[in-house]
Amino acid sequence: MNSLYRSALRTRYKFFDWLAKARLALHNGPVKTLLDLKRFPWMKTLISSDSLYNKFGKNRDGHYYEATLVVVSYVVHGFAKVLDDMFTGGDRLVIHEDMIPPEILRAMGLVPFMAELLGIALPIIEPHAVEEYIDCAESHGIPPDICSLPKSTMGLVLSGQFPEGIAIVSSNLPCDGGMSSYTVIEKKLGLPTIRLDIPHHFYNDRARSYFVEELRRMIKWLENNTPGKMDWDRLKTICEERNRMVDQELELWDIIKDRPSPLAAEPVYLSHLWGANVMPGHPESTRVFAKICDIARENRQKGKGALPDEKYRALLWNPPLIHFSDLFSWAETAYGVSLIIDSMSYNRREPYIDTSSEETMLMGIGQNIMEGPMARHTRGPAQNYIDDIFQIVRRFDIDMLWVAGHVGCKNTAALNGMLREKCREQGLPMLIINYDLSDPRVVSREGIIEQVNHFMENIMKAKRIDE
Amino acid sequence: MNESKKYYAGCDVGSTMTKAVIIDDKGIVATAMMPSGIDPEQTAAKVLETACSQVEGLEPSGLSRLIGTGYGRNEVPFAHANVSEITCHAAGVHYCNPDVRTVLDIGGQDTKAIAMDENGRVREFVMNDKCAAGTGRFLEMMSRIFNMDLDQFSDLSLKAKKVIPITSQCSVFAETEVISLLSKKNPPEDIAAGIQASIAKRGFTLLKRVGIQPEVSLTGGCAKSMGLVKHLERLLRLKLAPLPVDPQLMGALGAAAEAAKTAGSGLKEASAS
Repeated sequence: MNSLYRSALRTRYKFFDWLAKARLALHNGPVKTLLDLKRFPWMKTLISSDSLYNKFGKNRDGHYYEATLVVVSYVVHGFAKVLDDMFTGGDRLVIHEDMIPPEILRAMGLVPFMAELLGIALPIIEPHAVEEYIDCAESHGIPPDICSLPKSTMGLVLSGQFPEGIAIVSSNLPCDGGMSSYTVIEKKLGLPTIRLDIPHHFYNDRARSYFVEELRRMIKWLENNTPGKMDWDRLKTICEERNRMVDQELELWDIIKDRPSPLAAEPVYLSHLWGANVMPGHPESTRVFAKICDIARENRQKGKGALPDEKYRALLWNPPLIHFSDLFSWAETAYGVSLIIDSMSYNRREPYIDTSSEETMLMGIGQNIMEGPMARHTRGPAQNYIDDIFQIVRRFDIDMLWVAGHVGCKNTAALNGMLREKCREQGLPMLIINYDLSDPRVVSREGIIEQVNHFMENIMKAKRIDE
Repeated sequence: MNESKKYYAGCDVGSTMTKAVIIDDKGIVATAMMPSGIDPEQTAAKVLETACSQVEGLEPSGLSRLIGTGYGRNEVPFAHANVSEITCHAAGVHYCNPDVRTVLDIGGQDTKAIAMDENGRVREFVMNDKCAAGTGRFLEMMSRIFNMDLDQFSDLSLKAKKVIPITSQCSVFAETEVISLLSKKNPPEDIAAGIQASIAKRGFTLLKRVGIQPEVSLTGGCAKSMGLVKHLERLLRLKLAPLPVDPQLMGALGAAAEAAKTAGSGLKEASAS
C-alpha cells in the first residue's frame, strides 16, 4: 500500500472520528463538555483514542491495515457513544457489570453503562491511565492483591469520577474481586442494586431454566426501580441483529483458519470485545463485522495473509494485556507471530439466540452469559478451561499458546498449573506471561517483551526478524 | 597450534562470574573463570585470553566459532553469535550427560528450572529473576553473616543435627531472621542447614512447575554446595545426576557445544573428558 493512500485512508477515518467528537460536544453543550472534562479527567484519554490507529496499525499494510482502521474507528466511535449516553441518558442510565446482558437493558429503553468499561478501555489507550485509580482504591483499604480491574473501577467510583446512574445491576460472576467491588460501588453511589445469581453448572437444564427466571427477576426489578419497561419486540429486533453479527463473525472464524491467516489480532479480537460486550445487537456492529469479513474474504481470494510472512500462529488465553495492547502488533514485527484468536472472542460454539419466543430469547441470552469467557472458565468445571483451549488449537491450527498470566487472577492461577501439564502432554508450546492486567508498574512493557523473547528464543528457537 | 584444527568456544558472562570453555571435536581443551567486573566486555576478553592461553598458539580471534551467553552475552568480543543461557545450560548438561532431562540452574542472580528432550533441546522453562531469595546472591549474603566463604558455609551446614526452617520468601527478611536465630544461640550449623534447605525448596518449586523427569542435574555455582545438594536430593527423593565438569561452567560449555553444532563439527561423538 503506498504511503499516500495509507495516509489518506487514515485521515478519512480520523476525520469522521473528530466529527463524532464534535457532534458529542455540541449535543452535550460546549460549556458543559468543558466542565465535564474537569469533572471526569479520564475523558481526555478517551478523546485521544485515535492514537490507537498508530498504535495498532503502524507496522501493518494492505488489507490488514484497512481492517485495523475499521475496528479502531468502530471503537473510537463507540467511546463517543458511551460518553454521549453518559451525558444524555442520565435519567435512564443503568450501571451494569460486564456479565449483565446490555441487550435486555436496551430493549427496556434503558441506557446501559458497563462499569468495567473504563478500567479496560483507558489502559488500552494510555498504559498508565488507571494507576491513580488503583492507588485510590488501595488507599481506601481495598486489598492490593485484588484484581486491578475491579480496583480501577472502585478507584473511579471512590474518587467521584463515575457517571451518575439510576440503578446498578451486578452478578456473582466472573470472580470474587469483581463481585465484591459492587458492595463498594453500591455504597458510594447510593443506588438501588440487584445482583443476578448466575448458575455455574450451565450444562444442566435446571440451571438454564433457573437463570431464565433470574433474568425475569431482573426485568421485573428494573421495571419497579427505573423508568424502563420491557419491550419484547424490541428485544427480538436486537437479538436478530446480534445473530446477523454472529453470522459474520463465524464466517470470519472460518476464514482465519487459513494458513497464512487473512486477518489477525485486533480485527478479530477487538471487534468482538466491543461488538459482543458493549454494542451487541446494534446495526453498527453488524456493519463492522461485515466489512471486516469482506476484507478477510478478499485477502483469502488472493491467497494473502495478514502478515507478510506468518511464521507462527498464536492463541491468547485470558483477557488481552490491556496496558500493552499492541503486544501483537509488536510480536508480528519481531517474530512473525499472528494472533489468530483469543479466549474472550471464543464464546459458545453456537452463539445464536433463538428469537421465536420470550422464553427462547432469555434462554439464548442466558446461555451466552453462562458459557461466556471468564464465567465459563473461572466458575465452571476446570475441564472447560482445558477443553476450550485444545478445541481452539485444533480448530484454528494453532502453533503456540500465550497465557496472559495476570497476577491478580486467583481463579486462573491454579488452572494454569493443570494447563501446563496438559500442554506438556499434548506437545503444545506454552508461554505464561507474568504481568498485571491494568498496572504496568507490576511488570512493565519491557518486562513482558523479555519474557516473550526468552520463550521465543529457547522454546520456539525463533530469531528476531526485526533486528 | 595446528592450523587445520578447529576450536569452538563459549563465553558465559554471568552476574557474578564470567566463564569460558573451549572444546575441540574430542572434548574440553581449556576452561577459565573469573569474577565479572564492571565492564563485561573487558572481563569477557580477559577470560577468553586466559582460556586460549591454555592451548598452544591459540588466540581468541583464531577460534573457529565463539558463542556468547549469560546476561552480558552481547558484550563478548569476537563472538559470532549469542544464545540464551537457558538453551546453553541445557546444551552443556546434555553434552556432559545425555540422560539428563531436568536441570536446575542456580545462578548469581536468578534461578531457572529447565525441562529438556532427549536431544538436549529446551522443552519448557521457568525462571525466578525478580527475587534474590533462592539465588546464589542469597547464599553469599547468608555466608557473609557467618563470616565464611561458600565452601566453609556448605561444610558447616553438613554438620547440622537438625534443620531450623528459614523463610524462603524474601532474602531481606531471611537475613533478619538468621541474625535473630544466631543471637538466640541456636546452633549455627542448624541455621546454615535451614538456609540451604530454603534455597533447595525454592528450586524444587520451580522444578515442579516444569515437571520433574529423571535424570535431574544441578548447575551454576551453587551446585558446588554439598549442603544444598543434600537438601535438594531429599526434596526430590532422588540422587542428582553427577556432571563430570564444574557445574559452574555449564553455560559456557553449552555455548561452546552450540558453537560446534552450528559450525557442523560432528559433535555428537564428542564427550566431556
